[in-house]
Amino acid sequence: MTFRHRVRTIYYKELIDILRDRRTLIAMIVVPIVLYPLLMLGSVQAVSYQHESLEEEKLTIGVADDDHRRMLQQLITFDTRALESRREELEPGSDAAADLPAPLDGAQIEVFPSVEDMQAAIRERRVPVGLVFDSDRLVDTVDKRVRATVHADLEEPRGNTAGRRVNELLRRTNERIKETNLKSLGLTEAFVAPYVVEEVDLSAPSSILGEVLPLILILMTITGAIYPAIDLTAGERERGTLESLMVCPVPIIDLIVGKFLVVTTVAIMGAALNLGSVTATVYFGGFDKVIASTGGAVPWGKMLFILVALIPFAVLMSAIMIAVCSYARTFKEAQNYVTPVILAVLIPGGIAALPATRLEGPMLVMPVGNMVLLAKELLLGATVPVWHAVVVLLSTTLYAAAAVAVAAKTFGHESVVFADAGSLKATFSRALIKPSSRPSLAMSVLLTAVLFPVWFFVQSSLSPAPGETAVGVLYGTAWLMPLLFVVLPVAVLGHWKIDLINSLSLRVPGARHTLAALLIGVSAWVPAHELNVLQHYLVGIPEALLRSSEQLEEAIKMLRPEVVILLLAIIPACCEELLFRGFLLSGLRGATGKWTAILIASAFFAMFHFFIFRFAVSAALGVVLGYLCWQSRSVVPAILAHALHNAIGTLSVLWPQWQQWLGMSAEETSEWAHLPAEVLAVGAGVFLVGLIAASKGAAERDREPMPVAGQSLFLAGKG
Amino acid sequence: MDIVVAENLVKTFPSPDGTEKRAVDGLSFRVGQGQIYGLLGPNGAGKTTTLRMLSGLISPTSGAAILAGFDVATHPHEVKRVLGFLTANTGLYQRLSPRELIVYFAQLHGMDRQRAVSRAEALIDHLGLASFAHLRCGALSTGQKQRVNIARALVADPPILVMDEPTLGLDVLSNRLILDFITEQRDVGKTIILSTHYLDEAESMCDKIGLLHDGRLVAEGDIATLREQTGEERLTSIFLKLIDIETSAGVGSA
Repeated sequence: MTFRHRVRTIYYKELIDILRDRRTLIAMIVVPIVLYPLLMLGSVQAVSYQHESLEEEKLTIGVADDDHRRMLQQLITFDTRALESRREELEPGSDAAADLPAPLDGAQIEVFPSVEDMQAAIRERRVPVGLVFDSDRLVDTVDKRVRATVHADLEEPRGNTAGRRVNELLRRTNERIKETNLKSLGLTEAFVAPYVVEEVDLSAPSSILGEVLPLILILMTITGAIYPAIDLTAGERERGTLESLMVCPVPIIDLIVGKFLVVTTVAIMGAALNLGSVTATVYFGGFDKVIASTGGAVPWGKMLFILVALIPFAVLMSAIMIAVCSYARTFKEAQNYVTPVILAVLIPGGIAALPATRLEGPMLVMPVGNMVLLAKELLLGATVPVWHAVVVLLSTTLYAAAAVAVAAKTFGHESVVFADAGSLKATFSRALIKPSSRPSLAMSVLLTAVLFPVWFFVQSSLSPAPGETAVGVLYGTAWLMPLLFVVLPVAVLGHWKIDLINSLSLRVPGARHTLAALLIGVSAWVPAHELNVLQHYLVGIPEALLRSSEQLEEAIKMLRPEVVILLLAIIPACCEELLFRGFLLSGLRGATGKWTAILIASAFFAMFHFFIFRFAVSAALGVVLGYLCWQSRSVVPAILAHALHNAIGTLSVLWPQWQQWLGMSAEETSEWAHLPAEVLAVGAGVFLVGLIAASKGAAERDREPMPVAGQSLFLAGKG
Repeated sequence: MDIVVAENLVKTFPSPDGTEKRAVDGLSFRVGQGQIYGLLGPNGAGKTTTLRMLSGLISPTSGAAILAGFDVATHPHEVKRVLGFLTANTGLYQRLSPRELIVYFAQLHGMDRQRAVSRAEALIDHLGLASFAHLRCGALSTGQKQRVNIARALVADPPILVMDEPTLGLDVLSNRLILDFITEQRDVGKTIILSTHYLDEAESMCDKIGLLHDGRLVAEGDIATLREQTGEERLTSIFLKLIDIETSAGVGSA
């Protein structure tokens, strides 16, 4: 039975099992279907009911003087009379009639001994609003206006509405007097206010939807993943079925992958049901106008796209949940672990949901945050560059893979399977770690995956402003790359007592593979150039990459050749090879076949170069270097070839006459032309000879110098 | 020909205080084809740990366990293919029916769906599960659950059966069911290793008995040999006497 068959068997069984659970069904189907309509109808009605009742409530208005009471009473009487006659003019039941404000007649006027007393009463909410005039007469002399101050607690809904109603009363009175007086002079409004000012709001429609919906969906996806993740891991342990599963001849990774797929399925189904229920409620409940407040339509088509974009997020959350719950022995324990994880997820999610946050820079690789941003930008109608979307999806996939690897390592661990087999804490104690020969799959993939966002942050913080050269980047990288790519993995290997020589393939290569490395190193630029030309021809070249390579070229020209070689050839070659062909490849070596391992390592290698445009060339180079390392069982030939390749690239910038000597035109325009046939033939020939020389594998002198099976969680891969 | 060989098995567990606890301490024994071997001892003697090492559920700290020629450490999946594992408290998937459950485990043992279904039907027929094979496992009685568990352990028709306290906490009827099952399986030529602390049960069934105390074997042999060795008739007395000798010897040498 193959991996796929086993995973499929496990997947179907677990899916049936989880879907038969009443609790899952309630959480997944009943809650979203019933909850949203209820919540939305309830809250919208409550708000509008409160609003209406406040609008028509009999007001109590405070004044500080008996004269003021009389003046206000007069104002209200005039206004009520005017409103009533206006109502009679209008067609009953028409929109204009309905829009008429409620008159303030019947308002109670309370007289306070002083303005301070009145204000105190408003603060204590005994009276919602107060009015103070600076005159004792309603109309003073013709050339002096009466100042009327409205006092209210505007933060409080009742005070706010009352204050506004009194304000409106005064404004309406003003308008009427102005209109009457102008008419008596034979003038119109155009005489005193020639402009009618109107605003047309062009802000994106459905902004509430855009800001709130992604967060709701993400919460619902997480909620959908939690229950099955606990049930399929800790639940299995608690019910005593795990033991019977572990005595089956099935690799643990198969079990975890099957379970992980079920959790993902349930999470996506849950998210889809939630999205569907929200959509239906908004649409059939007639709330689309309320939500799309500026009058635009709700972008239904984009909602579907968001559901698709939610899949990688559901994958990541399911993987994290499975990994976290795999540590737990009981349902309760799992719930305790899950709570802080949800909080940790909500922080980047919340940051992303803030209106000012955009999908750019480090946010592109921020776990969870980047998915929220992608959904938000799509809903708000922004155009998202394709390569942004690709970075978001790729990095999310990377994090999910790392989480699944951790889950597989934990789930089958004996101290977790059997409560009496020692504590997990003791498992982490270094004194009890047994030496092993190479890092596990989980360890190598996890560390590389963690390095990815870190490296992205480093690169984006170092990146030069337009107009600056890249000298700062070169020096910064030269310091940080050894630290992150070499010192960190070595420290991790040291802590877990993993054989350094074997893990990083630090062996002296044979003469044959050294020669192969030299041949490949001096000729790899030929296929690389042709690949670039092909790619340029097919997809063009982005502006940002051109700019960054110009900045790089300027920086190279400013430095001495030996410094350039150190910064751009020797340091990157050593660091990148030790990480990707040393640490990562040896972790993959135990878990997958030769080509899968080489391909995965070179995909990581290419992703660390960020620019999608460079992906193909970097990945191809990565495959060649990975092959060299695998065949020679040493990282040295790969370093040699990598350094030579980089050195040739850099020096050709310093000495453009090389290109002429090779028969290439140094003109900018022909940078993307094919190489002359004779150069191409010689280059390809040397490259092929190099590959052929590398194809004979080194003797497997020390395949397993030490036992690989280990006690510790991240320790050893399969033997 | 010994089908099960335990060679100097040691299992230590880390304690939170940084020390190590030796749950099994240099255990060696052999079991021949078609024998019932009983591992006997009080709680905490190391019976469960030993059986879990034999089944590849946990890995030995040192020493080797070889079943049907396969070393558990290097060929865990091959070992898992030749053994059936059963305990009294192994759980069943509550929301699957016995039929679905048996088919699932048959598939996990490498059978395609068609073969798995026919194997499940054969087991349902043979073990008399037909009347409740369509119900959810959660709705079954203890005795019915125990039968389903037996079917699960037998799904790949393994030549070796490992049973950890198979009768612990069962009522008289379920107990009878398990004991009958054990003798029946022995009669068809299977090798059975079982652990129990019901000494009388072991006395009536086991071809060979290993008395385990503090992770070590204090005596081994058939019941006659053990009687001869200690001069006691009943297994309980034999056991107490042997432990007594062991502890006083320990005190004496200290």
